[in-house]
Amino acid sequence: MARAARPVAPRILRALLLTFFSALFVLYVAGPVAWLVSSSLQTEAQITAVPPNWLPPEMNLSNFDAILNAAEREVTYETRRQGDPATGGFLPSGAANLIPSLWNSLTVGLWVAALNLLLSVTAAYAIAVIDFRGRRATLYTVLATRVVPDIALIVPLFLVIRNLGLINTLGALVVTYLAITVPFTIFILISYFEGIPRDLYRAARIDGCGHWGALRHVYLPLSLPALVASLTFAFLTSWNEFVFALVLTQNVAAQTLPIVISGFVMDFTTSFSFVNAAGVIAIIPPVLMAVLFQRYIVSGLTAGAVKG
Amino acid sequence: MATITCEQLTKRYGSVVAVDRLDLTIQHGEFMVLLGPSGCGKTTTLNMIAGLEEISDGTLRFDAKDVTWQPPHQREVAMVFQSYALYPNKSVRENIAFPLALRRTPRAEIARAVQDVAEQLEISHLLDRRPSQLSGGQRQRVALGRAIVRKPSVFLMDEPLSNLDATLRVSMRSLIKHLHHRLRATFVYVTHDQAEAMTLADRIAVMRGGLVQQLDTPEGIYARPANTFVASFLGSPQINLVEGEIAPDGSFVRGALRLRLPEGAAAPGRAVMLGLRPEDVAPPGPGLVTLEARVDLVSPLGSETLLEVIAPGDVPLTLRVPKDWRAREGEVLALGLDPARLHLFDRATESRL
Repeated sequence: MARAARPVAPRILRALLLTFFSALFVLYVAGPVAWLVSSSLQTEAQITAVPPNWLPPEMNLSNFDAILNAAEREVTYETRRQGDPATGGFLPSGAANLIPSLWNSLTVGLWVAALNLLLSVTAAYAIAVIDFRGRRATLYTVLATRVVPDIALIVPLFLVIRNLGLINTLGALVVTYLAITVPFTIFILISYFEGIPRDLYRAARIDGCGHWGALRHVYLPLSLPALVASLTFAFLTSWNEFVFALVLTQNVAAQTLPIVISGFVMDFTTSFSFVNAAGVIAIIPPVLMAVLFQRYIVSGLTAGAVKG
Repeated sequence: MATITCEQLTKRYGSVVAVDRLDLTIQHGEFMVLLGPSGCGKTTTLNMIAGLEEISDGTLRFDAKDVTWQPPHQREVAMVFQSYALYPNKSVRENIAFPLALRRTPRAEIARAVQDVAEQLEISHLLDRRPSQLSGGQRQRVALGRAIVRKPSVFLMDEPLSNLDATLRVSMRSLIKHLHHRLRATFVYVTHDQAEAMTLADRIAVMRGGLVQQLDTPEGIYARPANTFVASFLGSPQINLVEGEIAPDGSFVRGALRLRLPEGAAAPGRAVMLGLRPEDVAPPGPGLVTLEARVDLVSPLGSETLLEVIAPGDVPLTLRVPKDWRAREGEVLALGLDPARLHLFDRATESRL
């Protein structure tokens, strides 16, 4: 069907407006990240210069060198004095914990991502597929746990974890983060599972699958995008979490990256260059993960299954 | 081979009774069609036989074995769905092989079985495609293939042809009939399409409101419908139903319409419904009751002609007559009716008299 061409002027105006607002949005979202990366490559003096150096005047990796190798440097009163507090040259005392906390964060994140998926997939399958008495009630109970603000749970949770003797362990963090991610993931997966044609489940049952078989052969392959999204969501939630980690961990044995990086902000002075360098290190794993997984987040996996 | 026995089979959803104490025995190798309008309980019955719906009450047996509580995968039934229900992430070959793969059949044997089934269904050239790349008819063939590859003793089909266009439906219908002849398995087929039911079934169970209205051969159901519901559900165009009374002399009376009935057909004074199949008319002749009716509309179908006529007493009737009947709109036509072929139903109970 031929459509009358629209007048040219409004079309150009529309394209311009779209471009302008898209650019504005990108600037809003990516601007801080760009500044984080740029400033991590600058010295304190360059960062605080007026007008600012939007791009680093030279590639300077000394910030990274300083914080990554902090453990090998002796931090004494004298060495700290060598830095000029006015320019933030102080190497934060917590910098030595950066690498261990990176591992802590990774460990906790991977455990949370894996266990979250395991628990949520089985729970969501049961609620979405199996018709049992009280299944709606189960779902609402699970969701109700997310109505309580996290901050209100901190003290009771701290007491529980302490009485279990789990303070300052990675396990405490894993359990806590699962409590945050599992209800939400169950909810997401249920709606995804319910979108998979019921006849596929019936066909699988008839063809010889039990519940595990139906889960494995029908629900898991067809909900790959939701599974990848859940995996990413759980990892990022764990990776970014601050308040619970602050309360439940006390030292390098279990402290995660956000806690150690926040320690870079000290009482008397804050080195923007070091904080930003640590910030860049902190965003690398999530970015890698997003790049790796985005191609799985596609739609249309059930095309052709049933008469549409 | 398996005989399926339903004893007082009942399905309740809360306070709604979908299937009400169904007693039905489906013999070895029989082609049983469950026929009825939507919501009559036919699909629920099928799902209970499959194990996809829990049975609220009653017993289900395959041969002598009680399978009431067995999960579907232990019942050795195959099923074809209206929606085809192919696994979209698997190729046609993998779809057909799936039931065998789950049973840990050796690979070579699976390959042979899949090839064999594909040839029977003429889908060999599609084996490496995905369901999304197939047409509706091809998808339904794949679904059939997935069902027959296991050589099960019971086939369940839930309106398998409803999503196909009319021409394809006819060819798939004969394909299914051939399959049944070749496999000699027990088929339970759910449909709301009376033509499918009539052409395929050894026996038809007509259902309404969770109850079987009549269980008989297609010929039996057509010739002796148990009530007005069954009478109107089968036959196209629908049977003509005329309300009236039995006169003291034993004939059917409705206003100016008076038809002689066979001796003792019904007690005088009884309120009845008279059923006349559209094709049960002939030119007037000996032994026939003559009825004069004004032709209102003539619709030639090519092979035959549909007439809408107005009988005495302003009773509209639809008739199906041979194409060589020359009827013109507005003229009065003399028709011969065979009293033995008239159906009488009680008006209150709607059951056959």
